[in-house]
Amino acid sequence: MSSGIYGGDEVGAVVFDYGHYSFRAGYAGEDAPKADIPSAIGLVDQLIEGKDELEKKYLIDVGALNYPRKGVELQSFLKDGLIDDWELFEKILDYSYDKHIRSESQLHPVLISEASWNTRPKREKLTELMFEKYNVPAFFLIKNAVLSAFANGRATAVIVDSGATQTSAVPVHDGYVLQQAIVKSPLAGDFITMQCKQYLEDHEKVELVPNYLVASKEPVKEREPPKYTRKTVPEVSKSWANLQVRTLLQDFQASVLQVSDAPYDKEVAEGMPAVHYEFPTGYNNDYGAKRFEIPEGLFDPSSIRQQLPGTPLGVAQVVTTSVGMCDVDMRPSFYGNITVVGGCTLLQGYADRLQRDLSHKTPPSMRLKFIAPNTPAERRFAPWIGGSILASLGTFQQMWISRQEYDEGGKQVVERKCP
Amino acid sequence: MSSGVTVSVDAKQVYDDVKKNKVYRYVIYCIKDERIIDVESKGDRTATYQDFLGQMQELKDQCRYCLFDFPADCPSEGTNEPSKISLDRLVLMTWCPEGARVKQKMLYASSYDALKKALVGVYKYIQACDFEELSQQAIEEALKKQ
Repeated sequence: MSSGIYGGDEVGAVVFDYGHYSFRAGYAGEDAPKADIPSAIGLVDQLIEGKDELEKKYLIDVGALNYPRKGVELQSFLKDGLIDDWELFEKILDYSYDKHIRSESQLHPVLISEASWNTRPKREKLTELMFEKYNVPAFFLIKNAVLSAFANGRATAVIVDSGATQTSAVPVHDGYVLQQAIVKSPLAGDFITMQCKQYLEDHEKVELVPNYLVASKEPVKEREPPKYTRKTVPEVSKSWANLQVRTLLQDFQASVLQVSDAPYDKEVAEGMPAVHYEFPTGYNNDYGAKRFEIPEGLFDPSSIRQQLPGTPLGVAQVVTTSVGMCDVDMRPSFYGNITVVGGCTLLQGYADRLQRDLSHKTPPSMRLKFIAPNTPAERRFAPWIGGSILASLGTFQQMWISRQEYDEGGKQVVERKCP
Repeated sequence: MSSGVTVSVDAKQVYDDVKKNKVYRYVIYCIKDERIIDVESKGDRTATYQDFLGQMQELKDQCRYCLFDFPADCPSEGTNEPSKISLDRLVLMTWCPEGARVKQKMLYASSYDALKKALVGVYKYIQACDFEELSQQAIEEALKKQ
């Protein structure tokens, strides 16, 4: 190859996108990722056959992860949205190449979407890993906020991304992230899960028994103690049991909770229709006002009763703080293009409430406009879908970091080619 | 960040025809074959903004870039009287309606940078995703803000 251009688009590129909840992988040009793997990985010590030594076994993906066995500890490869445990990250990459991509890494260019606050050493390390270990023919690293903006038809927008561990506001201007104005808050999906747990366990005294422990159950009347028989399972670790409880709570959260369209008011909330929910044990109840009270903390942190480290920001505050750090001239174009993505924003009424809160916190002359992808898949996978389209464009072939460019320029090339 | 899509010679030529020679009132650009930004249609110099909007009605679920040489009132300095001078201001619009396919949105948003760099001297940039944002009033307001 004489030029630095990666030649030939006949072999499909592979797109990876990671978050605290799941790891998405698939071929560029497809509508949705082939794999949506939990980011939690199970580690267990196992005897090597014929020898008296232990080796680490990695349990990845729903099937392996959800089977109760002794001594499985759960870990994530991420910390604050950035890759922290490289060994685990490699394991999950290996697994997706093997089971979902079903091809060899040296055949496909790779596009990875990263957190907008990724650091230079980590970006370089990832570039090195992909070229040296996975031998990819070409590579590209792009900020997930930029992909989300593009996928919604915007080159300039503020991306409000609420996922599992955090809610962030990232201003994107003409396709570039304004790094200094990124604002984050820990009030997101996992926080709501904890609020549900606290309420159900402490106030309603519900025994949170995940599916794997229920052998059989009998129907009971509302609010009556459940009648179920417990399955006998091996003694599982605390982190594994927690994950199962969390999965149960996430279902509760998705089925029951709704965001109140104005600041939570007990009387108004009590007048709203209740939602019936049955737990795996058969215990069931109607949830009325509570289903509005629990997510209120996302919007109004002062409503949270328990002590939290620091003073986390509500989502509207995250947005106004972020936009407030940008140039005055740019602010109208950010407020005019507020793009809402991430799994936590799927809570019913999320975008409407954010709109209401923001209209109270911005000058009346400021025109607010919200863009929220309609389907849950588009909201959860916005960066992946964006990356999938980008990497499949014929013209994008000249944008990749080619093998040759990497060989000549080293890992530093990522800062120049993928700003 | 850009997609690698380029801008055709014709696209730049027609831009100059609007800017310098004042031959056309507006230009609608499209991306051809996912490769190159080219001229799709041009509006006569006598065309009004309403004529342009009329043509846009047919592009309800299609993304485009549009250039309009917009006659804007120029505030006369020092007085509060309504101005009598009108200046043509070049406005470049990205049209990405909600109803467009995500692939088109991605393509047009990620290629915008190339067009922006190629067309030097545009007065105002507008991102529009519905007819409200594309309305004459919205453009006038944006021009006033400066």
